[in-house]
Amino acid sequence: MSEIFDLLLLVLLITTALCVIRTKDLLAAAVIFSTYSLIMCLVWQMRGAPDVALTEAAVGAGVTTVLFLVTISRTVRREK
Amino acid sequence: MKRIAVIAVLVAAFVPLAAAVAQLPTFGEASNPTNTYLVPRYLQKGPEEAGAANVVTDVILNYRGYDTNGEVVVIFTALIAALATLLVRPKQMAATPPGDDAPRSPIVSFVVKAIAPFIAVFTVYLVLHGHLSPGGGFQGGTIFGALIILLSLTLGHKYGLSLLPERSRPWLQAAAVLAFIAVGLLGWALCGAYLAYPSYSQLEWVREGWLIALEIGIGVGGAAIFATVFWTMEAEP
Repeated sequence: MSEIFDLLLLVLLITTALCVIRTKDLLAAAVIFSTYSLIMCLVWQMRGAPDVALTEAAVGAGVTTVLFLVTISRTVRREK
Repeated sequence: MKRIAVIAVLVAAFVPLAAAVAQLPTFGEASNPTNTYLVPRYLQKGPEEAGAANVVTDVILNYRGYDTNGEVVVIFTALIAALATLLVRPKQMAATPPGDDAPRSPIVSFVVKAIAPFIAVFTVYLVLHGHLSPGGGFQGGTIFGALIILLSLTLGHKYGLSLLPERSRPWLQAAAVLAFIAVGLLGWALCGAYLAYPSYSQLEWVREGWLIALEIGIGVGGAAIFATVFWTMEAEP
């Protein structure tokens, strides 16, 4: 059961990573990237690293996303 | 011609690197040096030798204390770089960004006000309990920084900035570096080496106190740095 969940997480991880690269709308890309961080956080937790999972959730899904959004609000929203 | 030269350089760099990687021990092999004595030593003797029940904290603050010291300096340098390149004055930080005069949603500000105390208590728990359970200064500090950013976004920058008074702000931003220097020099004076901890069982509470001082320093410094980077990027140029 655990292996199936792991596999599902990894597939989702790769899918979100590809979506971030392919999305032209930077706002959408930032949101998808925060989803990537949340899935990564679950992966860390499944691998038995709760310390890293906490950091990933706080930095990856929280602060980095806000900084990306601030940058987008200061520049342009669409990739040329 | 130029392309062939580039390919040649890349191949010349790749071949020795690949050869070196091929000689590394297989990842996760039970006979690797990390698995034969390093990890068992940390797991068996960590709490006793380094003073924290959470082995991750033992490694971060004691066994690999110099690495963490370096990381803390790197994060502080990143803040200095952000402040130096964006050139924002403290007054500009407090000003509300353009488009911010739109009425805020009462639902959002109510929910943020309702959950903020719980987030704050959770960060204190993470920082102070970091040597017993997963968590610690970095995690707690980042979540507290995120809380300050959340309050600045929903209730206005002045509200968030009031949490870091202007006069003490530089000291708070440098808290992690200062805590490491203080504990490191104390270790040098009392135990003979930079960042050395007392190992005597009678001085257990001293070691505990140093660990907690480092955790608090990392937490306060991390939160202040994250919040300042956010304000610097949001400020009107």
